[in-house]
Amino acid sequence: MDALVSQLETPRSQQELYNSEEEQEQLALSLSPSLKFALPPIAQSQAWLRAMTDDYSNPNCPIKIAHGTTTLAFRFQGGIIVCTDSRATAGNWIASQTVKKVIEINSSLLGTMAGGAADCQYWLAYLGMQCRLHELRSKRRITVAAASKILANLVYSYKGMGLSMGTMCAGVTPQEGPALYYIDSDGTRLAGNLFCVGSGQTFAYGVLDAEYRYDLTDEEALELGRRSILAAMHRDAYSGGFINLYHVKESGWVKHGFNDMNPIFWKTKLGKGEFSNVTADLN
Amino acid sequence: MFIARSEYDRGINTFSPEGRLFQVEYSLEAIKLGSTAIGVSTSSGVILGVEKRVTSTLLETSSVEKIVEIDRHIGCAMSGLQADARSMVEHARVESQNHAFHYNEPLRVESCTQAICDLALRFGEGAEGEESIMSRPFGVALLIAGFDEDGPSLYHAEPSGTFYRYDAKAIGSGSEGAQAELQNEFHKSLTLEEAELLVLKTLKQVMEEKLDSKNVQLASVTKDKGFRIYQDAEMEEVVAKLPKN
Amino acid sequence: MAGMFAGPQEMMGYSFNTAPTSASEPRQHSFYPYTDNGGSTLGISGADFTIMAGDTRSTSGYSINSRHVPKLFLIGGEGPKNKGARIVLSVVGFAADGDALKEKLDKEVKMYKYQHGKPMTVSACAQRLSHILYNKRFFPYYVHAILGGIDEEGKGALYSYDPVGSYEREQCRAAGAASSLIMPFLDNQVNFKNHHIPGSGEGHDLKPVVATPLPKETVIELVRDAFTSAVERHIEVGDGLQMMILTKDGVEEQLLPLKKD
Repeated sequence: MDALVSQLETPRSQQELYNSEEEQEQLALSLSPSLKFALPPIAQSQAWLRAMTDDYSNPNCPIKIAHGTTTLAFRFQGGIIVCTDSRATAGNWIASQTVKKVIEINSSLLGTMAGGAADCQYWLAYLGMQCRLHELRSKRRITVAAASKILANLVYSYKGMGLSMGTMCAGVTPQEGPALYYIDSDGTRLAGNLFCVGSGQTFAYGVLDAEYRYDLTDEEALELGRRSILAAMHRDAYSGGFINLYHVKESGWVKHGFNDMNPIFWKTKLGKGEFSNVTADLN
Repeated sequence: MFIARSEYDRGINTFSPEGRLFQVEYSLEAIKLGSTAIGVSTSSGVILGVEKRVTSTLLETSSVEKIVEIDRHIGCAMSGLQADARSMVEHARVESQNHAFHYNEPLRVESCTQAICDLALRFGEGAEGEESIMSRPFGVALLIAGFDEDGPSLYHAEPSGTFYRYDAKAIGSGSEGAQAELQNEFHKSLTLEEAELLVLKTLKQVMEEKLDSKNVQLASVTKDKGFRIYQDAEMEEVVAKLPKN
Repeated sequence: MAGMFAGPQEMMGYSFNTAPTSASEPRQHSFYPYTDNGGSTLGISGADFTIMAGDTRSTSGYSINSRHVPKLFLIGGEGPKNKGARIVLSVVGFAADGDALKEKLDKEVKMYKYQHGKPMTVSACAQRLSHILYNKRFFPYYVHAILGGIDEEGKGALYSYDPVGSYEREQCRAAGAASSLIMPFLDNQVNFKNHHIPGSGEGHDLKPVVATPLPKETVIELVRDAFTSAVERHIEVGDGLQMMILTKDGVEEQLLPLKKD
């Protein structure tokens, strides 16, 4: 009885502190898998996380998180082109050459992955769920502006915790037409015509800025996306692998292949005479 | 009997000496005041049908929503207090999306029904560690129709938190008459089109108003098209197929 | 055993530095809750099977602490021996984190069966594992996980993970200490990377070899070669090779000896 009285006397917020982790876990399990994140049992958890996982500030860090690299997206009269490479690196090690850096949020929205691969995969899947709920509640598809804002607010609420993502949301809606937003883990959210994100962004911008026009035809736009990523793969060691190309239209997105860069490189060089700095002589 | 009732029917979670929870039993009565809703399951899909009570000619009938989408493959029809149904449907939608998020697969219809029923008993003071969220039981029953890897299925969920699977089920004010009709007319080899007509025919018998394409609503759940509410034109088409009077 | 608690740079010291520090001098931040237990794992999927493998040595620093610590775990079977399990998890990195991860995933897969009345598919399990890892995004499990099974179409399925849950379905993957030795070998022997069909063209027109799923016997040979070779060149790999062969009929486990030096 005394225990009951004392329990009733304690404010609810304090009681929860006494709940053991196991109790909370069981509660979460009985309902559904939770969205709660475990934290290390120390005061400076962010500094600790950086020391453990950031191979940029500490090349000897024990946990190497896979990083994504060159991604681009641009708006033009026929919709939006989204193009990425497929290389993931952990330090100097190429962890994968087949990463799908374009994430299909739903049948009309695409997200791109640069920075922490897990951060992008997880939060864009979470965004997909939120977009679907929005659709069910309001009976119409979410706008790209709203979707990108959900993501921006989300990552902003984790600001300083160590998330690392630079992502673009691309979609075409009846209200907005083709819409493109850039969101990063600092909380930046920008609307724009053209973005390149990742370690190879400067190389991609070089090609894209030179050739970009709003009135490109669909074919020209696809080729420009492909060529810009190819340039980045060629000059940025952290980019490479396969060229992943998408075209977003009002009716939804269309995938234009996940193709090995090597034959495309040689076709571009030998067929068009570009990359003349590279010798084609095999002897 | 009546005296015993009045003594025990105020406590939301107090059993009567006969072992009954009166508030839960009363909530079942609330459903009998609601408009009729019918579900019929066939081998190729499930048909849901509800009557809309058009109380005024000034009422915009499209705003009476008694069949709602839970996910692409699950929908539900309601009878009783609609406001209560909103929070159950919201819960089911979140559960369904959560499942897809965590398991990369659609939620099964039975699991979805279970999730809704888990919510049904969260009234009263709340058990240890579990937040109570309502002061009284729900006053609404749901017919949950869906299509998953086991094919089409239809469930009936009550405020008491129990649920059963049915081939055909009617709830609401006309449920007794309608259920008897379904009992006679249902057979396993019904096609989806026959099920549409069976639902409308049964509704027509128990409705007070004369049935037309504005005061009923149909929806279907099939493998290919998922959950779909019938558009006005389709409603007119199906209603026109009904034999006159 | 001191090395067990030491960070990557300093070999001595404990998880929490106990050396007294005066208030004036700067204090080193030394919460280091991980140990690299070495070893390597590998998974290859075929047309209707998946093979998972791992060595059984457990090290910390330059000490070999045990010669039989399995890195492969059956997930979601029945009873203490996980009978009838159809999913295998391999973990390499910090064995305690790996064990905790295995326990958690196993619990969830078993709970799923009770809640939804059907066994969990590999693709569902793969997504769940990703989220379990990501739930410790800010205090990661120090593990590289690989998950193997048979998918709903009867094909071999293999998923590989980074420590915080980014994942991808692949044909083959090596993880752990000797991954940089084994992975290039697999690229060459399983995916035929940069192989060309002789005489299919001149110079840059040579056609690349298209990778086709390998037969089970070939894959078992490849796995053995990968590990016997890794043992020759990596100090943290050796003692025993644990192999699990997943087919539609279930999981067959094999243990083979590796060199003990």
